[in-house]
Amino acid sequence: MKRLLTLAGCFALVALCAGCKGPPAVEAPGLSKAPAGSIPQRTREQNAALGREHKTAWDLFQALKAEAKGGQRLPASMVPDWSGVYSRPADKGFTFDPDTPPGVTTTAKLTPEYQAKLEKRIADLKRGIEWDPISTCAPPGHPRWLTEPFLREFVPTPNQTWLINEMVNDIRRVYTDGRDHVPAEDRYPLYNGDSIGFWDGGSLVVHTNQLQGGIYQRQNPDYSDQVETVEIWHKADDATMAADVWVYDPPSLAEPWYVQQRYAKLANPDKALRIRYWNCAENQNNAVHQTQDGTTQFNGFSFDSKSGKK
Amino acid sequence: MKRRLVQAVLVSGVVLGVLAAGSARGLAHHSAAMFDEKKTITVEGEVKEFQLTNPHSWLLVDVKDKTGKVTTWGFEAEGPSTLARAGIKPSDLRPGTKLTITGNPMKDGTRAAIWVNAVRADGKAFNPRAGFAVR
Repeated sequence: MKRLLTLAGCFALVALCAGCKGPPAVEAPGLSKAPAGSIPQRTREQNAALGREHKTAWDLFQALKAEAKGGQRLPASMVPDWSGVYSRPADKGFTFDPDTPPGVTTTAKLTPEYQAKLEKRIADLKRGIEWDPISTCAPPGHPRWLTEPFLREFVPTPNQTWLINEMVNDIRRVYTDGRDHVPAEDRYPLYNGDSIGFWDGGSLVVHTNQLQGGIYQRQNPDYSDQVETVEIWHKADDATMAADVWVYDPPSLAEPWYVQQRYAKLANPDKALRIRYWNCAENQNNAVHQTQDGTTQFNGFSFDSKSGKK
Repeated sequence: MKRRLVQAVLVSGVVLGVLAAGSARGLAHHSAAMFDEKKTITVEGEVKEFQLTNPHSWLLVDVKDKTGKVTTWGFEAEGPSTLARAGIKPSDLRPGTKLTITGNPMKDGTRAAIWVNAVRADGKAFNPRAGFAVR
């Protein structure tokens, strides 16, 4: 019986690998800890310059892969421990670049068209007019996904890593089993796009395409459906997950936008913080619509008891 | 003195004061443009229902005026996990709990507000926005 199960496991592995495409990252040999990474540590300025050196996100991803000597596939024994419940510090607001200096609208170098859009959004708010495209319960989509201030978990496994945002049960899957992106002719816009990656020691390098347009956050710029990103995720210290992020989007960005995202591990001594199912439409008192002048208004309240559940 | 102020609001329903700029922020999910974040109202009443829902929770508070007429106010806050991070639990605000609650009111006069701070009769305070702090 045991032998039968082993055989079944082997067939399952073969079947899984049959779907793999692209240059396979090399599986690291039987170590208990991930080998050291090869991509050099860079300063913020150096990372921003690195983004400018490459015309597309894919070019940058390939350059990082070359630095990582093709990257690695990690067996279960070497996958890093990213356990815990995290959140994005909200002390600087929801700005996409958390290092935006006070008084600066955005650190992105926008094209004139998108600069005008941003200025109009800010001017509208001063007149009390604001509408957020997620108001009707649409997911934020990536790269806005990076900014939401709710609970997060990061779950690396040998073949894929789940980047989880509590809000609308939002999971980004990063495939690290060597598969390629979907062929160009079969791509269509997705909220979180298609993400593939490789490991460089304890760092996960990710390329994401097949995205759709959106906003980085309220009072932040727009991005188009040509947006693509490269991210390097790693555990900066025991209490911090960090991501270097490069955004490429020629219609909106005059040059790639480099930002550093950080997520703090929350103290959870009694284990009370748990990610629950998020039904965005469960309370009729939260339903809103866009008014004729473009702002937000509730559809109407019912403050009767039990009105909270539809 | 404070009690007298609260009673004045209950009778007149007028705005109490102006909130310091920047002390409240837009809500996640939808814009807070329909609320006047520069103004605050404070009412005293008792919890009718605590709706712990996503993306926003609502605290329904019954407020009685001088004639005994009861009206229900709704106070909007973030979802259950953010409230948990702020140390606010369902058992803290059971129906019938007496409290004084402050919020940023709707611009159109509807009896609803962003929940800024609630203080129970025993003095314990509940500030939902504290849930965004990382600790």
